[in-house]
Amino acid sequence: MLVIARKAGERICLGDDTIVTVLEITGSTVRLGIEAPSEMPVYRYEIRVAIEEENRAAASTGVDELPTAKKAEQG
Amino acid sequence: MRVPSTRFIALEVDEDAVLTFPDGLIGLPGTTYTLVAHEEGSPFHWLHSLEDPDVAVPVTSPWIFFGDYEVRLTDDEAARVGLAEAADAEVMCVVRAAPELSDFTINLAGPIVVHSAKRLCRQIVNDTAGYSVRHPLFSEVELSDAGPAVPAVPVTAVAI
Repeated sequence: MLVIARKAGERICLGDDTIVTVLEITGSTVRLGIEAPSEMPVYRYEIRVAIEEENRAAASTGVDELPTAKKAEQG
Repeated sequence: MRVPSTRFIALEVDEDAVLTFPDGLIGLPGTTYTLVAHEEGSPFHWLHSLEDPDVAVPVTSPWIFFGDYEVRLTDDEAARVGLAEAADAEVMCVVRAAPELSDFTINLAGPIVVHSAKRLCRQIVNDTAGYSVRHPLFSEVELSDAGPAVPAVPVTAVAI
């Protein structure tokens, strides 16, 4: 792991084609600009964790927890 | 092939009903799944593991509930499932059940993209349009108005 200090306006290169720019630092929030090739997925880490949690939770669904036609008529 | 299941009596799965996730589903084991109909006419299917009899997630077509839903694939993600044309793609989203229908949610941020002819699948992170992993499912369409999901891939069995 590389740990590096950067100021607003400074950049980091990831490989040849990806550039991360520190746009602004306000209090505890850093705003980043990411220039990456279109084939590279870029997303927030938390969203991947959230998807993992949703999948695990959904995988414990019982058959009787999904609505049936009968339930729809009543509902 | 006969596949054991803790939810259904058993699944009889034809070779052409096998869905392959080369990189798995995010956070779940295994790389092969199949679709099982929940009930005739239902918008829901079960994406059922062929390797773990206990693993199955409810899925639906997002466009039944959200007509303007969009999925953006990177070139790399499209290539991983062999997709060259959007017309070859099928999209499913994972549904989270709740005791009340009004509390059902759908994961619009982690759609599953399927190459319907090759049956290669990948769950992607759809983080650009501000979609939620837990969007209220019945916020635009009532269950009674939701049509059946018609997947472009063969469905194995009906729940017993």
